[in-house]
Amino acid sequence: MNFIIQLAWRELRSSWRRLLFFFVCIGVGVGSVVALRSMIQNLNRAVAGEARALMTADAQVETTREWDAEALAKIERVARPPLVLARAETVEAPTMLRPADESKEGALMVELKGIEKPFPLYGEFRLADGRAFDYSLVESDGAVVAPLLLERLALKVGDRVKIGEKVFEIRGVTRDEPGSGGGFRLGPRVFVERKSLEAAGLTGFGSRARRKILFKTSEDGAGELVRRLRAELGNNIYGVRSYKDSQESLGEQFARAENYLSLTGLVVLVLGGIGVSSVTRVFVEQRKKSIAILKCVGATGSRLTAAYLAQVILLGVAGSLLGVLLARAALLFVQSRFAESLPRNLSYDLQAGAAAQGLGLGLLISVLFAALPLLRVGRIKPNMLLRESEDAARGFRFDPLRWGVAVCVLAGVAFLASWQAGSVRVGLFFLGGLGVAAGLLYAAAWALVFLLKRARAFGPFTVRQAVNSMHRPGNQTRVILLAVGLGAFLVIAVQSLQANLLEEIDVTRRGSLPSMYLIDVQKDQVEGVRELVAGETGLTAELLPTVRARIVKVNGRDIDLDAVEMRRERGRLGREYVTTYRPRLEANETVVAGEFWDETPSAEAEVSIEEALRGTAGLDVGGTITFDIQGRKITARVTSVRRVDWRNSRTGFLVLFRPGALDNAPQTFVGALDGLTDVTRRARFERALVDRFPNVSVIDVADIVQSVGRILSNITLAVSFIGGFVLLSGTLILVGSIAMTKFQRIYEAAVLKTLGASRRTLLGILLAEYALLGLVAGLVGAAAATGLSYAVSRYVFEIDWSFMPGIGLAGIFLTVLLVCLVGALSSLDVLTRKPLAILRSG
Amino acid sequence: MGEGLTPQAERPERAAKVIKKASFFMIELYKISKTVQSGAERLTILHELDMKIPDGQFVAVVGPSGSGKSTLLGLVAGLDAPTSGRVLIDSEDITRMGEDALAVLRGRKVGIVFQAFHLIPSMTALENILAPLEIRGARGARERARQLLADVELTERAHHYPSQLSGGEQQRVAVARAFANDPSILLADEPTGNLDSRNGRHVFDLMVEMNRRRGATLVLVTHDAELAARADRRVSLRDGRVVADELMGGPSSAHDVRDEELEAARP
Repeated sequence: MNFIIQLAWRELRSSWRRLLFFFVCIGVGVGSVVALRSMIQNLNRAVAGEARALMTADAQVETTREWDAEALAKIERVARPPLVLARAETVEAPTMLRPADESKEGALMVELKGIEKPFPLYGEFRLADGRAFDYSLVESDGAVVAPLLLERLALKVGDRVKIGEKVFEIRGVTRDEPGSGGGFRLGPRVFVERKSLEAAGLTGFGSRARRKILFKTSEDGAGELVRRLRAELGNNIYGVRSYKDSQESLGEQFARAENYLSLTGLVVLVLGGIGVSSVTRVFVEQRKKSIAILKCVGATGSRLTAAYLAQVILLGVAGSLLGVLLARAALLFVQSRFAESLPRNLSYDLQAGAAAQGLGLGLLISVLFAALPLLRVGRIKPNMLLRESEDAARGFRFDPLRWGVAVCVLAGVAFLASWQAGSVRVGLFFLGGLGVAAGLLYAAAWALVFLLKRARAFGPFTVRQAVNSMHRPGNQTRVILLAVGLGAFLVIAVQSLQANLLEEIDVTRRGSLPSMYLIDVQKDQVEGVRELVAGETGLTAELLPTVRARIVKVNGRDIDLDAVEMRRERGRLGREYVTTYRPRLEANETVVAGEFWDETPSAEAEVSIEEALRGTAGLDVGGTITFDIQGRKITARVTSVRRVDWRNSRTGFLVLFRPGALDNAPQTFVGALDGLTDVTRRARFERALVDRFPNVSVIDVADIVQSVGRILSNITLAVSFIGGFVLLSGTLILVGSIAMTKFQRIYEAAVLKTLGASRRTLLGILLAEYALLGLVAGLVGAAAATGLSYAVSRYVFEIDWSFMPGIGLAGIFLTVLLVCLVGALSSLDVLTRKPLAILRSG
Repeated sequence: MGEGLTPQAERPERAAKVIKKASFFMIELYKISKTVQSGAERLTILHELDMKIPDGQFVAVVGPSGSGKSTLLGLVAGLDAPTSGRVLIDSEDITRMGEDALAVLRGRKVGIVFQAFHLIPSMTALENILAPLEIRGARGARERARQLLADVELTERAHHYPSQLSGGEQQRVAVARAFANDPSILLADEPTGNLDSRNGRHVFDLMVEMNRRRGATLVLVTHDAELAARADRRVSLRDGRVVADELMGGPSSAHDVRDEELEAARP
């Protein structure tokens, strides 16, 4: 034992700098895993820990209908002291707001929220000037608004605005709003008193208002309240939730995000592992003689292997510790750069669990990837000391130990991937994907070396020499190709995916998205809206009826969302469906089963469902669905199944009725407007529309596209950051691989100098070699990236994919540049060393 | 000569062993041959060679390059296995021993000095001598290593790395290392081949003197006739065969082994 430690110590003492360099690759990987995991865990704590503040209550009942007396009576029966300590009712509705001043232009969709005392039950409600919210601000037609509203409509505190036909005075601007999850919103938030909102006439017939009753319960009473409310109300029309429910589902989502993200960290780590494997191989090669000597003075192969393994472990731990420091630095960077757009109570500390996982991962990856090259230690023959050149011809020989270790290494990496992904399936898929990418690159490298061997007779001297260097014994061609190629692959893939996504949502280029949607048009307003649109814009608006319906029975059976077999379909069965009725199919629809109705109306209810619904709770052609439409039950027969091509649609309906049955059901109309791109014309039209039909809302698609684009660019930034990490470790491996073969290069260069080669020629040889390496790595990386972006676009995002050669070419060019630059810089002393000393010692 | 040398008088067990042992031969080679594949053809380096070396004898193996001297040494050290035949070290058949068992055997019984010194570049002079002691797990390793360093007159160079030492100094460290575990057999492969004559002479004198006091069996491969002349016995090889095996007789001869005796000892 003593000897093993002594030897490891002495070896490290002389070469730790060069070796640690490689373990920096491990550090980068550990750093990204620890940073990502800590970040997500902190986010989870900040968000899920605040679930009560987000709900602003311990529990809530939520509905999209008006409260009916029966339900209120049931709630009254359950929600009373001592279980419930306080309650507040709120109404939320997206609606249009416009300045009361007729001379001001513009109208804006806002997210209106009507509140009553004692809102909020939980959470901080603070105004921009630092004061706490006071209920008197909204009493008697006051409004408290988000800063964005003032900015967009050029208003200030004290100005008056119109919502519907009612006038409100702006009395405050929010800074911290209770219950804001930072989620996606159609417009800025506006708080008013609930009474005034009802009086504005916006929450009437068919509106999209969302009503909630919030409860503050006794300690631990939330669960009990939810259970009893569910029992009383049933749970299809009234959603009952406690803050713990949302905490749980948030926690699950975060855990999944954490696991997927740390897989990307694992990619960096595996790259680091490849680096470690390569350094260990070269290191053992260089220590061949020392190992032989030690065998001559009595050391056994297994003890020597143990000594070198000890070194790998030591360096692995050192690299991993460095990684933890890197993670800390990364979190500090995030704090300084992105703190504004992140939750205020977010911590930027490292999580001990994440750090421990990172250390474990770093160590395991180091050992796993060093295992195969370390086997060579046991195989070195001490006899080489007597006959220097006697390197027995190493042909292919089946070696059970080697294969056994290889299988163990593979199993180990699969285990690590499954552990990190939190799922064996995902872990294996990850490993498979990585294997395919690595296999491609390796095959490309092999093909390159093979071709070069044949091509070395061609071209000028520099190129021939460069080609020679690439297949010299102990060359690093494959390792460099693998590392740089994987890095290029990930970065190019992310870039081209982003480009495709941006193109998809770019309205100006894609004609199929309208510039504006009109919603909440009442039946008696349809003609008026048509006229107004034609008069103001010269366009024709096509208005479709929409009916909101919930599914209460399938094939005569009640939907019980708590039943085990329904759990998985909760999302599909529990939601509210927006349906329409029409006599014909749209151009983007095809019938895949059953028969579509003819154009005559029928009083008997008939529906056509979208493919996605087929099979849900056993639904198919011939079955029946019972809908609840504003309290009225309608049972409809499924007569056909349609497929909707969502990519070519502006509207798509999962459930479509045959005209006749719903003609008199509560309904509103929606319409799409095309070609209204000019900003001032749009503002004028919106103002005119809302003035005449205050209940009609306008969704400005350009606005939405913009905010989606912002979210997207944040995601892209995050992913590019990780891609950058991958590229960084690829570069590290590149530098290290070059350093490892440097002694050969220096010797060759010295010989070439004595033969009359100038430094210019030598530089030419170096650059030609690296340019060739970079070119192949870039080409293979770009090709694989193109394949990945195609697959993800088509099958994950389901968007059109277009080939973008610009990104690939730029990627290849930058890869060549990077490899040449790094290569030339790390080989500078090959050019500058004086040849005589080298030749003497060599 | 440093005072750290262990005189033979302090080690009576060595002398006693000679009498008690079943065989008084330290090294026995029976019909060993070595063939290697060189390109398409097989090359025989040693032809069914027989040799017995008694404990404590100083044997010089001479011959032109390519005669198989180094190969012979490698087989005795267990660095390589013969194609056929048997090698006995201290009456123990090493022919079928595994790599690791051979390494342990070398650590206990065999010291080797190479032509190219073969010090470990990442260790200091002292650490190079320490290595075999630490591998065996010997007690008082550090003191013993210091003593050996003093024996080869390099005390002040203890913390220098091989690259900071001259060739002669490196080889002296190598000699000290070879003696570290008090081997029964010392093998030297052209120990002065990479040195100038003055340094070579100094290293050789040190080695022979240290060995004389310890009484180890010394096998020296050389083509320096002057060095070979100081051995008890000279074996000449040519093309993998023994062409001459003569006892030199001289002041340092420990045993008077005659050809008849060698003949009689054969199975």
